Amino acid sequence: MQGKDMAGNGINSSDSSSVTNGGWSKVLSENKASYLEYVDGWEKKIGSFLEYDIERIRSASCREGALAGIPFGVKDNFAVEGFNITCGSKILEGVASPYTATSVAKLQKAGAVVVGKTNLDAFGMGSSTDNSAFKVTNNPWDLTRVAGGSSGGSAAAVAAGLVPFALGSDTGGSVRQPASFCGVYGLKPTYGVVSRYGLTAYASSLDVVGVLSRTVDTARTVFNTMKGRDILDNTSVSHPGSANNGDVKKIAVLKVSDGILSKEVELSYAKSKNRLLSLGFELIDIELTSLEYVVPVYYTIATAEASANLARFNGLRYGYQSPEGKDPGELMQASRDEGFCDEVKLRILLGTYVLRSGFQDQYYLKAQKIRTAIRNEFNTIFESADLVMMPVFPTPAFKHGSAELDTFQQKVADLYTCTANLTGLPALAVPSSVEENGLPVGVQFTAPAFEEDRLFNVAGVLEAGFPSPTVPGIKDWSKF
Amino acid sequence: MKLDELYVTAKLAKLDLNEGEAEKLAVEVSRMLEYFSVMEKVDVEGLEATVQTLSRENVCRPDVVTSRDVSAKMLDNAPKRDDRFIIIPNVL
Repeated sequence: MQGKDMAGNGINSSDSSSVTNGGWSKVLSENKASYLEYVDGWEKKIGSFLEYDIERIRSASCREGALAGIPFGVKDNFAVEGFNITCGSKILEGVASPYTATSVAKLQKAGAVVVGKTNLDAFGMGSSTDNSAFKVTNNPWDLTRVAGGSSGGSAAAVAAGLVPFALGSDTGGSVRQPASFCGVYGLKPTYGVVSRYGLTAYASSLDVVGVLSRTVDTARTVFNTMKGRDILDNTSVSHPGSANNGDVKKIAVLKVSDGILSKEVELSYAKSKNRLLSLGFELIDIELTSLEYVVPVYYTIATAEASANLARFNGLRYGYQSPEGKDPGELMQASRDEGFCDEVKLRILLGTYVLRSGFQDQYYLKAQKIRTAIRNEFNTIFESADLVMMPVFPTPAFKHGSAELDTFQQKVADLYTCTANLTGLPALAVPSSVEENGLPVGVQFTAPAFEEDRLFNVAGVLEAGFPSPTVPGIKDWSKF
Repeated sequence: MKLDELYVTAKLAKLDLNEGEAEKLAVEVSRMLEYFSVMEKVDVEGLEATVQTLSRENVCRPDVVTSRDVSAKMLDNAPKRDDRFIIIPNVL
């Protein structure tokens, strides 16, 4: 119905994309001086980029292509030759990317230009970007608040109009939660559909490459440019396309128990629901019985995989090396202890513990089995609905520090986002409202595997009535 | 988690924690493990473990040498090196 008519089928949509037709393709040429001045002004306030240089690797992008000349930011856990790859951690300070991630290379081939690396929580571990070793990123809507995380730099840069889109990685919500906090779109594709080659591994069975953007069309164009099987990532798959043309009729809406959502998110959630009803979608209320277990299951699996993936950072071959250590073993231990921040150490310790002999069945194996139950529950829901709607996060952007949400509460609050990672399903955070406190709130849609088109279609219909909200004082370069 | 358990885990994780750090992390690790204990009550009888969501088979490529040698650029990131050798403290 509406979705199909208004937003097309998602294939070859780049021709009509706003990002390709608008002024973004001219900012690096005709409007360069005023654009750079604009970026500089906002960067002083929000600190979204760890490195920013529009000329550094401009020549690595094709001069022609659907995205020719369009600038974009890349989260600093992706390898991009010409820029560093710090992952926001002291242990990788100053490390130069030796090659370029496939996702980034595909965008460069389509003409898009990497202008910088965006700030993040170290190795993607966090919900605030406060776990970065290098700088603080502020939310453009309220500089005393976080931009979310772990792709907070990417979200802040897009919301402030510094780039039309930025890449993020999403292991448990790291694209969608900051998108919600900053009032932009945040796509987490189906697991394996975008190559992870060149993305620093955090939890390999959960990690995906995602997109943050101001418009649905931009997210769709970028996703369609990046997707596909890559010989350099053997977990990648070709995208078979939507089984039903991306058609959406019936949406399953998660019933949220009282007291979980903040007042703002509760109001916003109701607004999205009413908007869908008035657009003629059929809504059915659902409950997720497995929701109670998703965060423990998620953190068991994510930390277990992280403890193995982060074993490679030992201070011997690249990155930070401690001045202490008389033998290789001591040097390794000292480098890791001095190089990793507390949050990363916590996750490595937890992951190592749940994988220790004697505990593996109790934690890791049990979590993997419950993961199956969670997948089964979603499969059952999709027998009678085209999409699932859920909140993104229980609160809007919170203040820096632990005063409003401490790091444990931040983890518990991942319950709505980490389901998509555990199930491997695609999910999209869509701007839903700006509440009385002046902060944006997003809402999340989850689709069956490979049904990104359904997400774009429903988001496109909603966008016609409520586009990505504009931060006061930002300039829309697509119009210049 | 008791402190001695944490030190055993830290050793396995190749982390040289100092005392203050260990005490702080022991509290946080314990809080998470306590939170994980909710999984105990779940009946998983008959469920297979999910190790990946795509249910793919093993993936192979033709056994052909390709020219993706990035070792020179990787070596440029080494903290201490002598030509193509990375220098580390004496092993013995």
